This record gives sequence, C-alpha cells and structure tokens, in this order.
Amino acid sequence: MANETLTRPVPPAIPRARVRPWTFFLMIVGLAAIYIYGWQVTQINLGELVTSTRLIRPLVRDLVRPDILARVPLRQEVRVPFSFTPEGAPPMPAPAADGPRIALSAPVGRPGQTVTVRGEGFAPGRPGQIIWTDQSGSSAPGEEFVTDGEGRFTVPVEVIDLIGQHHTLGVQVTLQGSALRPSSAFTLVLARLVETVFLALMGTTIAVLFAVPLSFLGAKNLMARTPVGAAVYVVVRTILNITRSIEPLIMATVFAVWVGIGPFAGVLALGLHSIASLGKLYSEQIESIDPGPIEAITATGASPLQVVRYAVVPQIVPPFIAFTIYRWDINVRMSTVIGMVGGGGVGFLLIQYINLLQWRQAATAVWGITIVVAAMDYFSAKVREKVV
Amino acid sequence: MAGATVRIEHLTKLYPDGTRALDDVSFEVHPGDFLVIIGLSGSGKSTLMRCINRLIEPTSGKIYIDDVEITALPVGELRKLRRQIGMIFQQFNLVKRSSVLTNVLAGRLGYVPAGWSLTNYFPSDLRLRAVESLTRVGIPEKAHTRADQLSGGQQQRVGIARALMQEPRLILADEPVASLDPATSHSVLKYIEEMNRRDGITVMCALHFLSLARRYGTRLIALKGGRIVFTGYPKDIDEARFREIYGEEAVEVEIA
Ligand SMILES: Nc1ncnc2c1ncn2[C@@H]1O[C@H](COP(=O)(O)OP(=O)(O)OP(=O)(O)O)[C@@H](O)[C@H]1O
Ligand SMILES: [Mg+2]
Repeated sequence: MANETLTRPVPPAIPRARVRPWTFFLMIVGLAAIYIYGWQVTQINLGELVTSTRLIRPLVRDLVRPDILARVPLRQEVRVPFSFTPEGAPPMPAPAADGPRIALSAPVGRPGQTVTVRGEGFAPGRPGQIIWTDQSGSSAPGEEFVTDGEGRFTVPVEVIDLIGQHHTLGVQVTLQGSALRPSSAFTLVLARLVETVFLALMGTTIAVLFAVPLSFLGAKNLMARTPVGAAVYVVVRTILNITRSIEPLIMATVFAVWVGIGPFAGVLALGLHSIASLGKLYSEQIESIDPGPIEAITATGASPLQVVRYAVVPQIVPPFIAFTIYRWDINVRMSTVIGMVGGGGVGFLLIQYINLLQWRQAATAVWGITIVVAAMDYFSAKVREKVV
Repeated sequence: MAGATVRIEHLTKLYPDGTRALDDVSFEVHPGDFLVIIGLSGSGKSTLMRCINRLIEPTSGKIYIDDVEITALPVGELRKLRRQIGMIFQQFNLVKRSSVLTNVLAGRLGYVPAGWSLTNYFPSDLRLRAVESLTRVGIPEKAHTRADQLSGGQQQRVGIARALMQEPRLILADEPVASLDPATSHSVLKYIEEMNRRDGITVMCALHFLSLARRYGTRLIALKGGRIVFTGYPKDIDEARFREIYGEEAVEVEIA
C-alpha cells in the first residue's frame, strides 16, 4: 500500500486551452440566440409582476385571514316526516314532551295542497321559516312566520313540488344572538384533508402489496442465478422504470377519465406510481443485503425458512418500513396536487375555491394542506429515525 | 462429549469459472486437535473450510466427520450434522440489526422446532444458556445491545458465543482474527483455545500469522495454490519451509 502511494505518477500538466477569438465570438452569439429565443417563447414579462399586483392582492391579503370560524345565528329546529303518498310513509314520531314541537294537520299531501303547521314551545316573538327537505337531502325554503308571545304559531303551508315521495318538513326559528362555529369551508377542508391522508394511505398500501413480491423478482442477486430469472429481472426492472417515469399527475388524469373524478382515481394513480418507486427501492435494498449472516445461520443447521427469518428479514424489514412511511409522506403531498386534476381530496376543493374567487376559503385549504404536510413530514422523519 | 474426527480424502473444488481452488487435498484431524491452516491469500483456506460443512459443494472427494460421510448426506441429515459444527468468520457475520442475544440464540436454530423459532420465541432455558455463553466470552452485559454497536473484538466474541450455543464438536474458524488488532486477536483466540482445551472440541482455524499459529496450534497444515504443501507441527516451520509456503520474497512478521 505504502509503496503504491509513493510511486503514483504525477499527473501530466494540462496544456492551457487557447480559445481562438472567433470561436469565442461564435459561442457568445450562439448563447445569446438561445436565451433570446427562450425569453420570447416563455413570454417572460417582468413588468407584469409590478403592473398586475392588483390581481394577486386579494389572494395574498386573504391568505392571512382564512375562513375558519363563522358567526351562525342560534336556531331552534324541528323536523317531521311528510309524504306525497300514504304508501311506505314513515310513522310520525311522538312529539317531544317539552321544548319546541310541531304538529301537522295531515302527514300526507300532494303538491299544491295546503297543510297547517302548528308549533309550540318555541322562543316567543321570533321569526321562523318552513324548510322542505327532499329524499336526496337538498332543501328548499317555504313560508315565513313570527311566533307569538307564548312561543306558538300556526301557519298554512302550501306543499311544494319535490322529487321523490317521502320528505321532511322542518321549522327553523331564529333566536337572538349568534354562536361562533367552525365555518362550512373549515369543516369541508377538514373532511377533504382526512380524505387526502387516507387516499395516500390506500394508495401506499396497495403499492406495498404489489411492490414487495415484485421487488424480489427485481433483485439481481436473487434472480440472476438462472437465465430465466435474469430475464424476469430485466423485464420487471424495465416495467418499474417506465412506470416510475410517468408523472402521477398524468396517471390521475387518465384514471379520472377511466373511473370518474374522485378519490378512487387518485388512489389508483398514487398506487401505480408508488408500486414502481417502492418496487425499485425495495429491490435495491434486497440487492444490498449482506450475505454473511445468511452463510452463518445456514452453517448452524437452520432450515431455509429460519435462514430467511433470521438472516434476511432483519436486514430488509426496517428499511422497507422506512421507505414505506416516506412514500406515504410523499403521497400525502402528491395527493393534494392530484386532486386538482380530478383525483379527489383537498386539491379538488382548492381548485374549486380558486375558480370561484373564494380567496378566504382557498386560504383555509392552503393552510390545511401546509399543516398536514408538515405534520406528516415530521411524523415520518421520527418513525424513520426509530426503525433504521 | 469428545471432539470430532475429520478425515478428508482427495478433496477437489473447481469453481464454475475454472479456478481450481482445492486440488486433491487429503488429511486427517484428530479429536481435540487445534489444527491451524496457513497459506497465502487465495490458497484455498476458505474454500476448504466451507467444503467441510458443505456451504460450498466439493467437486470431488470425500469428507468424513466421525466416519459419517458428510459429502454423501441428503439435505435433512446434512442440517442435523451442521448443528454440531460451529463456524466463526473473519467478518463475524452477525445479523447487525438484531440484538446480541438473538444472534447468540440463532446458534440453536437447528434444534428448535421451525414453527416456534419463526416468531423469535425461545424457551427460557435457552435464553439462560445464551446469557451463559455470553458470560463465557466476557460480555454478558451486552445481551440487549444491537450487534452493530459492538466493537470488532466484541462482535467476534458474540460469534464465538453463537458457536458455543451449538454445543459443537468441531469448530471451523476462518481467519477469526484477521480484522482485529494484535491484543484483541489474542483475547479472541484464547476463547477458541479454551473451547478446545476445556471442552475438547476439535478446532480447525485459518490464520495469517505464523506467530499466532505457533502460539495456539497443536498441528498445522499449509496450503499453496489449493494443494497441501506441509503437514506437521507448528514448531517445524523453519525459514526454508516458510519461504516455500509464502514465496521467496516473504519476510516473517511477528505479532506480539
Ligand atoms: N465463488 C468463487 N468463484 C470463483 N472463484 C472463487 C470463488 N471463491 C473463491 N474463488 C477462488 O478460489 C481460490 C481460493 O479462494 P479462497 O477464498 O478459498 O482463498 P483463501 O485462502 O481463503 O484466501 P484469503 O486468505 O484471501 O481469504 C482463489 O483463487 C479465489 O479467487
Ligand atoms: Mg479466506
């Protein structure tokens, strides 16, 4: 070793490159042409950044005041079933013993007929309204009224035309004062965020189920022992590499056409992409295992299954877990974007808010995404620290 | 339980690429021998060791362990015989992410029913014995440490404890101290020597340094290019023999 170091030849001096002036000039002209074309084709217009600030102003302004809480008026609400036909009509529930309650002159009626709604036990002297809700859950407002000094009212109500046969008739009486509640944008964003995290979880899980067996087929040290195995290895690796190079965004677009816009399309897109990337990572992990322990455990007289359990599994399981958690983390991030092209989740909601110029609601979504992604990032880093 | 006898007859190993790693090797190891195998790098020491427990399949020739021809055994019988042959490696070959205790217990896998062992469950008497083995090599307190957190010398002692768990009758040690410093080498070799002296286990040990061979070996064989060029006692290796084994330019290096 020492010998080698001493006798290493001195690298020959590199003669100074002499660039002739005209080659230099040509290079400059060529570069200039490239960048001039690039400037034009990408429509760079720095002035736009300044002159169009008014367009971005509402977004920036509303980013700091996301729509999280809303003042909702306090209400008393009572609903009873109402049907167009007596067949299959749900039974009328017994009215509450005290508190607000209503009674109908008839629980069945046709559109255009009149039913009388009597109520008692409501707040005195407050405005109220009839609310119709059809079978699908969409509602329509009906007659308005004011309760009397004892909290009673009697309103004749014209039955409106609704889709379906069995509906509900509700009464809402608005009270004085209001309450601070999570806004509808907030609850919607929250629900979509949960959907996003689970979308990523399902995509990742599906990917793991396929990637684990594939990774063994794509590990050179296991497969390259026989010609058939080597062929399988090449095929598996090629497929994984090609699949991996397709952007999940493009996959989501394709799946949204196939199975319809929604989280399922997102699950499929993330799943397929993750099979490819996890498959490759897993295979590389299998390829890098130390054969020494396998030899040692075999030498003790252990069975092949025991050798796998004691010499192979401990070497691959922790990195597999680490890769999988990391992938889930990436998938949560990706699924926020995938939603924008129809893959469901919070991204879809965000794009809707932006299109409707609902900046404060969009801000809620942006903050939600930021918090969830940061939390996932932190969590996955912690778990990986633990297992590796 | 006495040490095993090993008898090797006309052993030849040809690797698929045509390398003749062992060429008509024959010798016998007696119960309780501490046989040192020396030879240049590439002379076939590792190949010879691995042929004995058939981690490598010999091309031709026969190997007998106590009159059982291991080279003729079917797989199931081979596994049973392997339980009695402990192996110690230059690179320790521990499962690095597993605990020291699990590594030691792994030495007993050949005896426990496969179903149980797949859950990493070992009966308490085995666990106790694993701790005893660790005590014998002086590191009982490391039982719950991860194997890769030990120093090289400690890892090799875990390797010895793993072999001890097998209650072997033969130890194959392939350059057990080649990646350790001189002082640590001695402490590790002393444990192997103790197994040999106290329990009467037959030891076959590949070593690089002649000084270590003289200090620990009771008998010695030398390999060169896959052939045996010397059989006898360590003290009989003189200057001329040494040059014959290691080549004309070789100079003997002392290890403290
Ligand atoms: N798997 C293999 N395929 C082909 N040739 C091999 C293989 N393993 C070893 N050899 C060759 O067989 C010969 C003997 O190797 P072996 O490892 O047994 O030597 P060694 O004496 O243990 O050497 P070292 O002291 O370096 O460990 C060498 O020429 C080596 O290159
Ligand atoms: Mg070797």
